[in-house]
Parts: sequence; structure tokens; C-alpha cells
Amino acid sequence: MTERDPRFESSFMDDYFAEADEHLLAVRRCLLALDGVRAADVSSAVLEELFRSCHSLKGISAMVELREAELLAHHMESGLRAIRQGEVAPDAANLETLLAGANALEAVIVARRQGQVPPSEEATIAALRRLAISPAGTGTPVTATAPLDGPRGWRATFVPSAALVARGIKVDTIRARLLEVGKILSVTPNVQANGGIAFEFDIQTEDEAALAALSPDGVFYAPAGEPAAPVTAEAPASIDEPSSGPRAREVASAAPGNFVRVDLGRLDDLMRVAGDLVVTRSRLEDTLRRVERHVPAREFRLLQEHDSLMERQLRDLRDGIMRVRLVPVGEVFRRMPFVVRDLARDSGKRVQLEIAGQSTEIDKFLIERMMDPILHLVRNAVGHGIETVERRVAAGKPPDGTIRLSASTVGESVIIEIADDGAGIDLEAIAQRAPAKDMRTEDGALDARVLLDIICASGFSTRDEADRISGRGVGMDVVRGTVDELGGTLDVDTERGRGTTFTITLPLTLAVIDAIIAHVGDQTFAVPQSAIHEVIEVDPGGLRALERNELLTYRGRALPMVRLSRLFRINTTTRPRLHAIVVGTGLSAVGLLVDRVAGHREIVVKSIGDPLIHVEGVSGATELGDGRLVLILDVAALSRNVRERPRSGERASA
Amino acid sequence: MTDKSNSTEPAKTQTYILFGVAGTSYAVLSRQVQHMEMVEQVTPVPNAPPFVEGVVFSRGQIVPVINLRARFGFERARLNQRTRLLVVQHGTRSIGLLADEAREFLTIADTSIQPPGDAIGNLSGNYLDGVATLGERIVLILNIREVVESTPIAAA
Repeated sequence: MTERDPRFESSFMDDYFAEADEHLLAVRRCLLALDGVRAADVSSAVLEELFRSCHSLKGISAMVELREAELLAHHMESGLRAIRQGEVAPDAANLETLLAGANALEAVIVARRQGQVPPSEEATIAALRRLAISPAGTGTPVTATAPLDGPRGWRATFVPSAALVARGIKVDTIRARLLEVGKILSVTPNVQANGGIAFEFDIQTEDEAALAALSPDGVFYAPAGEPAAPVTAEAPASIDEPSSGPRAREVASAAPGNFVRVDLGRLDDLMRVAGDLVVTRSRLEDTLRRVERHVPAREFRLLQEHDSLMERQLRDLRDGIMRVRLVPVGEVFRRMPFVVRDLARDSGKRVQLEIAGQSTEIDKFLIERMMDPILHLVRNAVGHGIETVERRVAAGKPPDGTIRLSASTVGESVIIEIADDGAGIDLEAIAQRAPAKDMRTEDGALDARVLLDIICASGFSTRDEADRISGRGVGMDVVRGTVDELGGTLDVDTERGRGTTFTITLPLTLAVIDAIIAHVGDQTFAVPQSAIHEVIEVDPGGLRALERNELLTYRGRALPMVRLSRLFRINTTTRPRLHAIVVGTGLSAVGLLVDRVAGHREIVVKSIGDPLIHVEGVSGATELGDGRLVLILDVAALSRNVRERPRSGERASA
Repeated sequence: MTDKSNSTEPAKTQTYILFGVAGTSYAVLSRQVQHMEMVEQVTPVPNAPPFVEGVVFSRGQIVPVINLRARFGFERARLNQRTRLLVVQHGTRSIGLLADEAREFLTIADTSIQPPGDAIGNLSGNYLDGVATLGERIVLILNIREVVESTPIAAA
């Protein structure tokens, strides 16, 4: 065969993407581990791993002919070689350049994955090139590795100010004094975030005390490779991972384990077969029930025992496959420190990121789909949640904002929380954007559901200009859409001045769920049990019509009803009793009115992808034991439907 | 409008599957058909476009079913023993086409297919790739893309 088999090629590319992902993750982990470490303390093992990962990225990118990635990896490798050979210091500026390189690499690879033209990374490549060839450029000579008794390398930073000038102290004065102290290797003027200027002197001297003596004159110093402490007005994000322990140790633990890498598609096939088995077994159970009368009781009991044994074994099989698909959420969380760090730096805020529950396991498919939504919520937390340092201090809060990203398992669900201690959501601003909505309940409390409906409406933003932080990628509507689609729920809790917490509850895995089977006319639907609060019997005479809604007074409250027969245009006969499936609680509770509920089943969820049959209120389909296909109701969309209906009524009459 | 007679070799023939809808013979390229099956029941999908009969499971897949009678503007008919579901490939999608009957494979030379002229501007006219004349028989060649996509899908 001379032609390339496209299937082979696509699986080849999948392998490439998976491998590139791993290396990129390693590169970032290592860069983070180097961040803020004194040049002398830089672990050679970390440098070695960085170098190896870049080298691998270069090699595999060349193999798939992704030139841009190959080039970037090549220049990162060259830069790292210079650092490893002690020609260049791994200082903050240089790490920044390398991090930019890693970001550019990812952008290029993601573009290829999505079949897009890779972005131009000329500037990044140029910066990397400068890093590799000119130690005196953005790079800093490594002198910290010199013997301690000899002259050591320092970076002295002088920030001119009006007060100093008044005392006759200017940069030339400082330069002259520093020349007396030691040997000046280079001087770099740096523009600060606040528009001011700082001069960085790289200097070699044995006399630290002489440097210290200059501090009343506006000179701060630090060993080369570390930023001089007081000049952090540009607000570097301090990243903290309390649960991960010392950074260097985390990196060192990346030892090869006893693992196989399995294509998710193969696991899907296995899961599908297991799912088919579940259906076959329930068919068998149906058949058993029918033949019961014709089989001697003793034999029938045996049949039943085998059947229930098989049910248990199938459950074990499914659980086993499911466990293989579970991965720690840490894989996604680990990227967040970089995101927060970049955003905080760009916006001049100070943010601490706390991460907890990284080892919480969740279905690989689910967490991959959740990557962008989590990213968006974290970006929002930095962009909209956390205030500027001045505002925080003025409000009596610590200058550093905290974002807490945590995951935990509760029963069959995984809960992911993104919490910030920022300003909270500005309800007044939101109310102005959505005047039709009344967000207050009778007792004045905020209805979180309504708030969510508003901020998750497509195109919603409280800021007029889409800023860099929140204005790119997915929006809140996509966040909620993804969570809904995965069978999860999204909640928000916000308090003015105290912060905002988004809570995402996801099923541990997809595939098999418990459901209630309900009939409407001659049609049958499945309702995911996780969404059901309770099932109640309803006397149709007790329903009150209120404009276009029907309400049931239940436990002293008005419970809005969705009559499925009406919504889905299904012919039904009048019945003396109906069943209402109550979903949600409190103000967001809605009753789904059906003819009758016919018990509980374990169902295998298949998603509906084709646009011809992608309708609101239906999230998927399943096959019952008798071979019939049954639609699974999208409870979240249905209850939204009833909440939004009054608004469309207003529009119609306007 | 595609003109098959100019774009292909004169002697080229292709295999089609013939099926009937409301007394008329239609054909689709057999390589576009994944498989054919009998249907007992189609689950209706509420608020789907009117020509969508519903959804079935076919070989482990969820497949939307287009009722060709409804699509061409005929009265719907009750499903029976002769009703067939042709599961066709359209891009990455699998779509079921509900036909009254489907029985034979047929090889048709490209030269016997003419573009659908205005004269055949009947109900299914918009959904045709061409008209094949085979002796006394007239077979309408179906354009699957048009059948699946031609009207805007009802807003979800």
C-alpha cells in the first residue's frame, strides 16, 4: 500500500496529540517548579526533564510535519541548553519567555487539532532565540553558581522617584556608587506596569553589605535570578498549591509506572458492549416473567437466581470498565495555575490559587468536556470576581485575592467548585441588563436560579467591552450548556463583597443511569432519577390555570406545571388522576405532568447528535428491554421552559 | 443542477438500490446505503420537523427517520410488512429513509440518467439528482443531501 491510509493517519495524529499534551504538561509543571527558585537551587533533574520534553516535542512534531511546533520546540530546547550550561540564568524574565514558548506551542498544536491555520508565533520564536544566543539580552549571566567566597552575582534595582531626585539621587548617582561596590555587568531599563521606569543593574560583588547600604537611596537588590523584592508593583501572581507539597518533589515523582495507555474509543466500545448486555439481560427478565406460568416453580426459582446473579456480574463489569475510564481531575486543575498567573499579571491583580481534591476521579470524557467551562469560570473569577489590590485594601480585605478550585466525590456525583473571595456578582448591573426579570423572592432573597438564567443567557456580559480576560473562548451559556448536556447541574452562590462560588455537579460517569419511566398518551419517556425530587399524584381538577401556565398548590406553595402532552403535542384521553414528576427544589421546582409513572429502570444513555432530532426537552435516547426506543427528557431544559414562558408571553402581547 | 452526462465516462455504470414511494420508483446509489431493514415501530420525536417520522435504534446507533412520503408531500401511510428503512450515509451522519417498499439492486449507466427537467417538476422534483429511463421504466434518482437538508430545520 503506497497511499496513506487516512484512518491510520488520524489515529497517528491522535497519538501525537495525546503525547504532545503530556509533554506540554510536563514542560509547564517544570517551569512552574523553577518559578521563584534561586538560580543556585535550580534542580538539574527539573532542567533535565524540561529539556527532554522539549526535545520529544520537537521530534514528534517533526514526525507529523507540524513545522511551527517543531520550530518552537527547537528554540525552547536551545534556550534550555543555554540555561543548563550555565550561560543564561533561569530568572523570572527567562522563565516567562519559556512559558510563552510553551503557550505558543500549545496554540499551534490546538490549531492543528481543530484543523485551523496555526497562529504566527514569530515574536515568541524571536524572544526564544534572543534567550539562547545572548546572555546579556533578556538573559542574565549566571553568576550565582560561582563559589560563595568569591564575588556573587546580584541584581540591584533602582526605581527613580521625585523624592529621590530632590535629594540629588538619579540613576547616574546610583551607577557611580554601584561601580564602587563591584563590577556592573549590564544595566537594563524596564518599564513598569504603572508606567514608571526601573533600572536593573546586574552586578558582581563580594560586599553584600555595601549593596544593603544603598537601600535608603531607592536601591533594592537580590541574588541574580530572583527579582528584587520591593519591585513587585507589577503584581506577579503568586501561585500556591497547598495540597501538592513542595514543587520540586512533585516533579521528581514523574517516574514511569505500571500503566498502559488506552484509546478512549476502545473503552467506549467495551462500555457499549456492556451496555448492550444490560439491555439483553432486561429482555431476558421480561421473557422470564412471561414464561413463569409454564415453568415448574423450582426451575423458575433457579432461572431467577441465575438472572439476578447475572445482573450483579454485569454491574461489576460495568463498574470495572467505568473505573478504567476514571482519571484524576488534577489533570485539568494542573493547567489552572498558569492561566491564573497569566491573567493576574495582565490585569495587575494579585491572586492566590488554591487547589484541593486533585485526586478526585471522574470519567475521562466528562472532564475533557469540562475543561473549557472550568477554564472559563476560573477566568471569570480573575477577571470579574477578584478586585484590584487598591479596591481590596480599601474594602479591608487582604491584597491577595484567593480563588479556590476544588473537587470532591459525593455518592455517584463529582462536585467541582470554583470559588473566589472577590466582589461578588453585581446584581444591580445585572438587573439593568435584564429588567424583565425579577430576581428577588418574596422575602427579598436572591433566586440563584433566575440569576443563573440571566448570566447564562447567550451573549450576556456585564461589561460593555469584551476584555481580554473574559471575552474569549466560551461564554456562560456554553458553560451551562455543557453541564446540562453531561447530565450535571450548575449552581451559583454570590454575596456582595464576599465573593462568588460556582458549583458544578456532574455524574461520575455517563452511560448507565437510573431513570423513571413515564407514559404520556401512547408515548413513553425516561426521566433521569438524579434530577427527580419526588413523584406526586395530581387531581387534574386541582390545577389552576394562570395565563399560559398551570399551577398546583402543593405543600402551601404554587408549583408550576409543564404538561408534557401539550408541550409535545401528544393526544391523551382525560384521566381522573395524573402523575407529576417534581424536579428541582424551592423556587426552581417544576412539575412535569404525565399520564402515569410506570416504575424505575436502569437505562443506557445514548446521546442524540443529529440535528434533525435534536429538540428542546430531549437529551438522549435509550432502549428498553422490549426493543423499543425511548426518549430521555432533558429536565433542565424543560424546567427552564416553564420559567421563561411568561417572558415570551409579554413579548407576544407587546 | 448537476449534469452527469458530461462529467463522467460514457460507459460508466453504477449500482443503485430501487425503492418505491407512493407508487413511484426511486433509486439511491447503493454505496450510499449502509443497510436496509424492516421497521415495526418508530419513536416519534416531539417538535421535530414535520417530515421526520421519529427515531429508531439501528445496529446500536440512534438514527433519525425521514418519512419520504411526508417529505414529498404525500399522505403518510401505515407501516406494514413491506415498509423498509434505508439507512443512508450523509457525511458523518446516518439517516433512515422510510420507503413503502424496497426490493432490487439495479445497475444504471450514467448515460441513461438525465437531469431532472421542468417536466418532472412534480412533488419530489426538488429532491432529485436526475431521471433514469430504463426501457419502459422511469426511475427518479434521489439527492440525499436535498432530502436531508433542503428546508431549514425547525428551531430546537
